[in-house]
Amino acid sequence: MGKWYGYYRPDGQVGARNHLLILSATIYANSVVERVANTIEGAVPITHHLGRCQTMSDLKMTFNMLCRLAKNPNVGAVVIVDHFKEAYCNIDEMTEEIAKSGKPVEAVNIRDAGGAIQATAEATRKAMYLRRMLSTMKREEADISQFLFGLNCGTSDTTSGLSSNPALGFCSDRIIREGGRSILAEFPELMGAEEWLTAKAASPEVAKKIIDEIGSFEQRILATGEDIRGSQPTGDNIAGGISTIEEKSLGGAKKSGSATIQGVVGNGEPILDKTPGIYLMNTPGHGAESITGIAAAGAQVLVFSTGGGHTIANPLMPTIKITGNINSWNKMSDTVDLDLSGILAGKISLEEAGDLIYNEVVEVLSGKLTKCEILKETTGFAIHRVGISI
Amino acid sequence: MAVKMAWVVDEQKDNVATILSSDVKQGMVIPVTLLGEDLQIKVLADIPYGHKVAIKPIKKGETVWKYGLSIGRAMVDIEVGEHVHVQNIEPMRGRGDWAAQKKGCAC
Repeated sequence: MGKWYGYYRPDGQVGARNHLLILSATIYANSVVERVANTIEGAVPITHHLGRCQTMSDLKMTFNMLCRLAKNPNVGAVVIVDHFKEAYCNIDEMTEEIAKSGKPVEAVNIRDAGGAIQATAEATRKAMYLRRMLSTMKREEADISQFLFGLNCGTSDTTSGLSSNPALGFCSDRIIREGGRSILAEFPELMGAEEWLTAKAASPEVAKKIIDEIGSFEQRILATGEDIRGSQPTGDNIAGGISTIEEKSLGGAKKSGSATIQGVVGNGEPILDKTPGIYLMNTPGHGAESITGIAAAGAQVLVFSTGGGHTIANPLMPTIKITGNINSWNKMSDTVDLDLSGILAGKISLEEAGDLIYNEVVEVLSGKLTKCEILKETTGFAIHRVGISI
Repeated sequence: MAVKMAWVVDEQKDNVATILSSDVKQGMVIPVTLLGEDLQIKVLADIPYGHKVAIKPIKKGETVWKYGLSIGRAMVDIEVGEHVHVQNIEPMRGRGDWAAQKKGCAC
């Protein structure tokens, strides 16, 4: 059984990182947040263009996503900044929600502080004390059963479905055998894979939910009245040989391996069921939105399988990238962590490749940095929207 | 496991193979292993790495099989050895354009 070393949080979760999060409640706090994060060693900013003039369902989605990201066990403490006062996305409601996790939360309102310069000073000072406190925390032994594992793929090509995705499936199977849980998301990219997925469902109810929720996402696509070709598969998928959304889906689903699918949850929802197994999460195929939903559910580490090579990385959840395509490894190894081209070269089996991924995951859980963490690549953050700006 | 030039996932059912070489050019004959036998497929176009080749004839409207499951249907008759991609097969899922046509929308 694998052991790893992480940071224990007051709510019992264990983090693979000890981040100090500087969080914008709305778009108009972004510049203050950036200034604070630029000043403080080890601080991670989250900025975005949301939190205002959204439909109520989107506003609540923004609030929930931001609070849940702050509750991710990789975050040790939080400083929230807002500029005046919005519904939901304000320092009072967000502080109350995030503080339920028991972790320290500080907040600064730009108007109350007397403007952007004063707010920057106040937030920087609060951040300094939190950072100093976090620096005294030590990693302690944790079990794989305390690990929630994110699975995602992007810039896929046909090597993904033949090599890196099934290898990731073997890795996920091993994590689950050792008591862990994995999340498979990207619902539009499961269209056409229902038969393969429902065969692994824990119950007829779970199977029905898989069909219904993939179907409801498809209905949203149909309602656009537009041809999916050219949007899905994407331009890079097509260059890599993937011809249809069904082909992309069947290759993508392989990363969930052979383990039982225990349940289906909404985008970014916490997974309350502790039963080891696969959990499906209803996110779009858009990689940054999808991995943000997975991070919001509390996943500590994600493996991103990419036939074509990728730069994506979530700012809070280490994102290990793997490829089975030797050409992509040669071009994109600045931001891809593991070369699995040995599978298609006939040098290693899928199961051996799964063990290579597993070893990398356990090391990253315990503190090894991904290439993108070192490069501060943080392109893997975006919040899905269902409505318009108003 | 030997290095394959072309990979068939479900050898019973699939009618396409994935090319795993950067050197497959029009007119070449490449070996494709199917149920223990080496088929010799004459390639009718240059096929890039990772793209698909037809290993069985596929008539217009018929299902294209990979992983033993449907990846869409043929828009034209496809011969053995042809490059199978967006120019001759199409998806059946997520077709907002078909939904719009059905509603009689001109969009």
